[in-house]
Amino acid sequence: MPEPTITLDVFRYRPDEDERSTFQSYDVPYHEHWVILDALNWIKDHVDGTLSYRWSCRMGVCGSCGMMINGDPKLTCAAFLKDYFPATIRIEPLANFPVERDLVIVMDDFMSKLTSVKPWMIRDDTSPMEEELLQSPSQLAAYKQFSMCINCLLCYAACPELDSDPDFLGPAAIALAHRYNLDSRDQGTAERQDILGAEEGVWGCAFIGECTEVCPKNVDPAGAIQQAKVAVTKDWYKRMLLPWGKR
Amino acid sequence: MSHLTKTNEAFWWSLFSAGGVMAALFLPVMIFVTGFVLPFMMGEDVESQQDRMVSLVTFWPVRLALFGIIFLSSFHCAHRIRHVLMDFGLRWAGVALMICCYGAAAGGAVAAGLILVRL
Ligand code: FES
Repeated sequence: MPEPTITLDVFRYRPDEDERSTFQSYDVPYHEHWVILDALNWIKDHVDGTLSYRWSCRMGVCGSCGMMINGDPKLTCAAFLKDYFPATIRIEPLANFPVERDLVIVMDDFMSKLTSVKPWMIRDDTSPMEEELLQSPSQLAAYKQFSMCINCLLCYAACPELDSDPDFLGPAAIALAHRYNLDSRDQGTAERQDILGAEEGVWGCAFIGECTEVCPKNVDPAGAIQQAKVAVTKDWYKRMLLPWGKR
Repeated sequence: MSHLTKTNEAFWWSLFSAGGVMAALFLPVMIFVTGFVLPFMMGEDVESQQDRMVSLVTFWPVRLALFGIIFLSSFHCAHRIRHVLMDFGLRWAGVALMICCYGAAAGGAVAAGLILVRL
């Protein structure tokens, strides 16, 4: 019996050769235990070494292998061929991002959005710490879920708001900002509030919830954004009613 | 991020979310109580039903509560409509869209207030 195969329709764009993007079909051996990333690696090793895409850990940790699979954002190292077999699988770069080459997206805009919210620990006193900052289990629980983000950008590809307003800060960046705001050891909330409270910040979100649907780490960015909206609103009222007070 | 736009969206959103609680929790209860429970308890006589309902609504705490429910629910509705229209491509309409949506809600709330005061 011939070995079963599955067809992958893969998005191709080589800026040095192509004027426009095209789709290329590849017949790949079908194995039940293969994920889509295995199939792409097989193409790269056996058929076409010029196919470009990002990956690293192959185990849902590094967040670099996100692509649109039949129109849905997925980690290709976690999407099994058997869930699509025998139908053809269409593979495209993540939506809402410019394409660098083939399945590789340009992440510059996201990186600048991410750094703008300062997703790191901010302390008033920057001198080296004498002792550890202790945290209770409930203080850890307050932000832990939001700290599981692997920056895979599936939420950006799924977000309809980003599609209509590319300036929107987006789910992962807001969830990470909120993660640090919730951390009992952090003192940087005021520094993040201007950007979170801007039109491009939390207010770009209409709570559609696609980000939470597609998140492979159950971060619930939509929930984080809602919580951040409450925090920003409290801050706004404080500023309006007590303009002389400290934020 | 290249630019940030300052906004008072927090204010509209606070009305929206308070109105959401009203519309989801209190509005159905109010419709159920005033539309079904009380009329059934009051018996057949429509005229006395009318009088008793008016005397209930003219009790000031009830007036205020009704006004709060109607006012906040209207703003909830206006905010949602504004955002749906923005998603449908009317983002450019900016302040004009706000005036239309929130203006309609404010108009409705004022009308409800006048009716409640005059009863
Ligand atoms: S390869 Fe690392 S998450 Fe898929």
